[in-house]
Amino acid sequence: MIEVSHLTKRFRERVAVDDLSFTVRKGEVIGFLGPNGAGKSTTLRILTGFLPATSGTATVAGFDVFEHPLEVKRRIGYLPENPPVYVDLTPRACLELVAGLKKLPRGGVRAEIERVAHLAGIEDVLDRVVGNLSKGYRQRVGLAQALLGDPEVLILDEPTVGLDPLQIREVRELVKGLASRHTVILSTHILPEVAMTCQKVLVLNGGRLVDFDTLDGLIAKHLPGRKVTLDDIAFLEEIYGKLVSPAGAMPAAAVASAAGDKPPPYRDLA
Amino acid sequence: MRSALALARKELQVYFTTPIAYVAFMVMAFFAAQFFTGSVDAYRTFVMRVSPYEAQGVLERLNLTDVVVSRLFGSVGVFIVISAPFLSMRLLADEKRARTFELLMTSPVRPFEIVAGKYLAALAVMAVSIGIVALFPALLSLFAKGAQGGSAVEWQTVATGLLGLFLLGAMCMAVGLFVSALTESVIVAALVSLIVLLALWVVTLFTVGAEGPLRDFASGMSASEHLMPFLQGRIELKDVVYYLSFVALGLWLTDRAVEGHRWA
Repeated sequence: MIEVSHLTKRFRERVAVDDLSFTVRKGEVIGFLGPNGAGKSTTLRILTGFLPATSGTATVAGFDVFEHPLEVKRRIGYLPENPPVYVDLTPRACLELVAGLKKLPRGGVRAEIERVAHLAGIEDVLDRVVGNLSKGYRQRVGLAQALLGDPEVLILDEPTVGLDPLQIREVRELVKGLASRHTVILSTHILPEVAMTCQKVLVLNGGRLVDFDTLDGLIAKHLPGRKVTLDDIAFLEEIYGKLVSPAGAMPAAAVASAAGDKPPPYRDLA
Repeated sequence: MRSALALARKELQVYFTTPIAYVAFMVMAFFAAQFFTGSVDAYRTFVMRVSPYEAQGVLERLNLTDVVVSRLFGSVGVFIVISAPFLSMRLLADEKRARTFELLMTSPVRPFEIVAGKYLAALAVMAVSIGIVALFPALLSLFAKGAQGGSAVEWQTVATGLLGLFLLGAMCMAVGLFVSALTESVIVAALVSLIVLLALWVVTLFTVGAEGPLRDFASGMSASEHLMPFLQGRIELKDVVYYLSFVALGLWLTDRAVEGHRWA
């Protein structure tokens, strides 16, 4: 579904993405993981056609993102890092605009807006002004915009930022529900999120791919001999620490668990 | 086209939910009213001064449309030039600042559909603004009578005058839209387009002392010189071409500027 090969993006002197290659198959949910400035958002922006790559190619559903941007954009629902909502309008007006931009059939727009509003949990605020809504609601309006029109590929850049724990759980359930019919790329630095929603994890550091594997594969590779269940998500912090930190500098959580303390199941390394 | 209309609709919603359009309309209405009452007053004093000398010939050639309406339209031109930058400033600059530009650029629309949607909304607001000015000749025709008992205003001249003002407004909005595409700051967008448009409006002043080609060039570039024939009831091709070239150039450059984002 998504193929990225030797993708490089330079901003003047700075290399944001360095020779990145990976493939995502239809129906997979991929977690993009990496510290701030690792190139997650830049990669997603290239995939959605917002930024051009310096070199290398990316294709979505067989279409090159640079050569056939319209074909690609028609298939992608994208939630950028900053939810692109109009503070002077109501969520309903925002969704109507997006429906128009995506050229959804006129007759179905109302029902489609109700559907995504229900999925994102914003039915109650549809007719309030976005500027008066909290960060969490704005985030969910952005999510509803991405879901509008039921695109094949969903690219969500930190979809749970600003949400409260219950909403985070709802969004995770939503993403899991989308999994079978949609291809989802989800960027985050909240580790439990990856363990709970994604089948495969792609770890970026300094613009380079450091690992791309299933959760089980990561465990087998980096914590050989350890038995972990998905409830015990601290293992991911340990692997993450190994992958992105300079040798020896282990994150506190990893050190703690190495010392034998069982870390609390929800831990945020952001 | 569908997406351009959706964007135009959103843009109009923003214009009319924020104070910006209302403030522009108020400025227009206030100053047009001042100029209108001033011109009517001047006309009346003039007629009263001429009458005792039985100068029937002068009075018959005096025309309410030329003396009041065209003068009003001429003065309104400068307020179009001044208000347009404030109506066009946030069109694209604000999208970039608020990061909603990313939504437009990742939606399945061509850059020109974005530009067309924005421009349509801008034109609609400009049309309302000019519609306010059109109320004054209508007011005049309600209360004044022509010498031969006909209508006091020549509607043809009023219509060409309004057409001229609309073309001027269309040009100002196209220039403003392009400037707005170049920056993230609405203030910078407003100031730069104001400078450009004012310079085009008064360009003949820069060459007062000059003669020959330079002077011809200045009057050829002048937005105010090209408005004059419309106010006198004439539609001349060169004037229409002047305004439409600015519209076409502005829209094309905006399209390039938006498309350019995909490359850098």
